[in-house]
Order: sequence, then structure tokens, then C-alpha cells
Amino acid sequence: MSYVHPEYLVDTEWVAAHSNDPDVRVIESDEDPLLYAIGHVPGAVQVDWFSTLQHPLRRDFLTREKFEEVASKLGITNDTTVVFYGDKSNWFACYALWLFQYYGHKNVRIMNGGRLKWEKENRPLVKEVPSYPETTYKAKDADKSIRAFRDEVLKQSSSKKPLVDVRSPKEYSGELISMPNYPQEGATRGGHIPGAVSIPWAQAVNEADATFKTPEELRALYEGKGVSPDAGEVIAYCRIGERSSLTWFVLKYLLGYPKVKNYDGSWTEWGNLVDAPIEKSV
Amino acid sequence: MSIPPKLQEIVDDFASMTREEKLETLIAYSETMPPLPERFKEARDKMEEVPECMTPVCLFAEKEDDDRITFHFDIPPQSPTVRGLTSILANGLNGATLQEIISVPADFFLPMKLDEAVSQQRIHGFMGVLAHMKQAAVRASAE
Repeated sequence: MSYVHPEYLVDTEWVAAHSNDPDVRVIESDEDPLLYAIGHVPGAVQVDWFSTLQHPLRRDFLTREKFEEVASKLGITNDTTVVFYGDKSNWFACYALWLFQYYGHKNVRIMNGGRLKWEKENRPLVKEVPSYPETTYKAKDADKSIRAFRDEVLKQSSSKKPLVDVRSPKEYSGELISMPNYPQEGATRGGHIPGAVSIPWAQAVNEADATFKTPEELRALYEGKGVSPDAGEVIAYCRIGERSSLTWFVLKYLLGYPKVKNYDGSWTEWGNLVDAPIEKSV
Repeated sequence: MSIPPKLQEIVDDFASMTREEKLETLIAYSETMPPLPERFKEARDKMEEVPECMTPVCLFAEKEDDDRITFHFDIPPQSPTVRGLTSILANGLNGATLQEIISVPADFFLPMKLDEAVSQQRIHGFMGVLAHMKQAAVRASAE
């Protein structure tokens, strides 16, 4: 058994061999964006989920026009193969990939294992920031088929269709809203969206080298919780939509589920939303 | 409410920096954070781990002979932003008295305009670390 769309993954060796390939752009996207400045894959550019990819004012992504500007400045054309990698098992690499797909960039990859595997293999990390000739990039209309908004999530929940909560078990149960010693983006209520099953994102990756688990393991993980490809549309969420973009990537490309959406509003929206139903399992 | 002179100096420095300078300075602070002294390692290993996704900030406060407080930290190098921000607090508050530490206003960092360089999530974390340091200083002083 292999992944349904293995072409969405490349390994570290492939990236090392393509660092000078003009048709390939390698992008680092981290949970901690300072890591790029400390050392990155030779030839790689950076996007930061917060300062590059978010709208400066509203809680939303950057606009299509701004996205075009970002892609142009990074020297990306509509045909460039864009490879994402990052820290924390590629959370924010998947988030950036998801957003590139949202604006219609089809040719995207994840470097399996991300920064961790690259470092463990003692591959070079450099501080030099490359620059590439600016391009003219044309984005497509936002692809809403991969992004869920709250009203759809409510419908999904009330019609008992699959919802996957990928947060840690204590966030799911409602025991924790914010972590001890570490206040974070707040929600005024704890718990989960009614009907959501708990499948923490980290179960999809190998802790040792941050690579994805095997197709067999992944299938067992999700189908074992009743989330199967024939169950219709699946919506994944977490706290701000970053961990669930990894789950989205796994379901959509590694397991080939036909319809998967990421709910980027996630718990920081739902847990603050007036009149939204909540389930708690404490 | 007042700010100890060393911390005030850092606040003033940041206030006049560009975004790029702030990021470079955060990296420099992250790199100069000393390792956790051996004597705390046993206590660290007993501490409850912060569940996934958040960077664990392990901190200890010690009362010196002159009643001044010294803080020690253990933060993974894979989290330079959290290390850098915490290191600012360590540099600004190490050697201060308990009274000075607990008098630091929770919003002392606003003139630093950190939001130009780091996300709101980090700033919340930064405030959390300060609150945690105050509690640890109170406990260390009572010992």
C-alpha cells in the first residue's frame, strides 16, 4: 500500500539535489520564524504564517492581490514547484501549503520530516538569504472547497458528519483552555464541537524524525475512529487552524479523501462564538 | 509601579529599533541565554511537561545572600523566539529585589512595539512568563 498521492511528498535528498533548480522554490514556514534566520536549507526563502500570510487587520488570510505580491517577490511563477518545510513536524509548512492551494497554486510539495530530519542528517544550514528575480504571479480565486467557515461547521455538526478535532486530549475534553504557565490565544469556553472525534495531529507523524506514518498506520488511525473516505466531507480543526492543516494534508493527499476542509477559525472562534453548541467530556 | 533600570534600558533600546533590528536582537538574546545550572536539572526533570504545541518554559528563581533574585531558565534552542523574549526578562530583572520584580507593570513592554516583530500569541506568552517569574520570585523570597 502506498500513499494515494505520493507526489505531494519529497524527501530531504530530493530537496538537496534540487537546491539550484530554477523550477523549484523551497520555502521554510515555521512555528518559530526566527529559526530561518539562525540557519535554513541552502536556497530556501521564508514565509511566516503570521507576518507574511495573515491579513494585517482582519482575522483572515492576506488578500489575493497581496498573495500575488508575496509569490512574485519570492520568485515563484505559476509553474514553479513549491516545496515547503518547517519545524514542529511541518505544521506551518502544511499551513503555508494549504494557503498556496487556497489561492490556486497546484504544484506544491512537503519535504517529509521537515527541519528535524534535515538537521538529524547533518545537512547544511546557511544564514544567507537568497533573492530571486521577481516574477509576475497570477493567483486564482480563493478555493473555498478546502476551507470551512463557521456556518458550514455548524451544519456539519448538526447533521452528524465527520469532524476531526486534532488538539491534545485535554483541550478536546474541555479540561484545558490555556496551557499551564503559558497563556495563549484565548477562548472563553473549553470543550469541542459536538460530534467531533479526537485524533490528535501528532499521531500522524513519527516522533523520531517528523516524517509521516505509513499509509497503513494512517488509514488505521483515521478509519479506526470512524473517519473514512466514503463518509463524505470531513472538516478538521484545532485552535487556530495550523495543526489541522497538517491533518488536512494527510487526509487529502496521503490518504486521498475526496473532500476535506480545514476550519481555520477553529477553537479560538468556536469557543468564543455566542450560541455555538459545545460538548465537554470531563 | 516602576521598571528596574536594566529592564528600562532594554525597553528604550527596542523602542527605537526597526523590525529587522528587533528580530536580530531577539536572536542575539536567544543565543546568550546561559544553560540551566547543573543543580536545577533534577528538579527540572520532575516538572510536569507542558502539553504539546506550546514551548515549555522551565524557570527557577533563587534568592541571593543580599536578598536579590536570580532567575535560571531551560528553553529548547528550537524555540529561539521564546528564548529571546525570556532572555530579555532575565537580563532586565536578574539581580533585582522582590519588590522591584513584583512592581513591574504587566504592560511594561508596550513601548517596545514587539508586535512589529512577533505574533500576538508570543506576546501573550511573554506576559505569561513575566507573571510566572513574579510568582517564582515570591516563593524564592519566602524560603
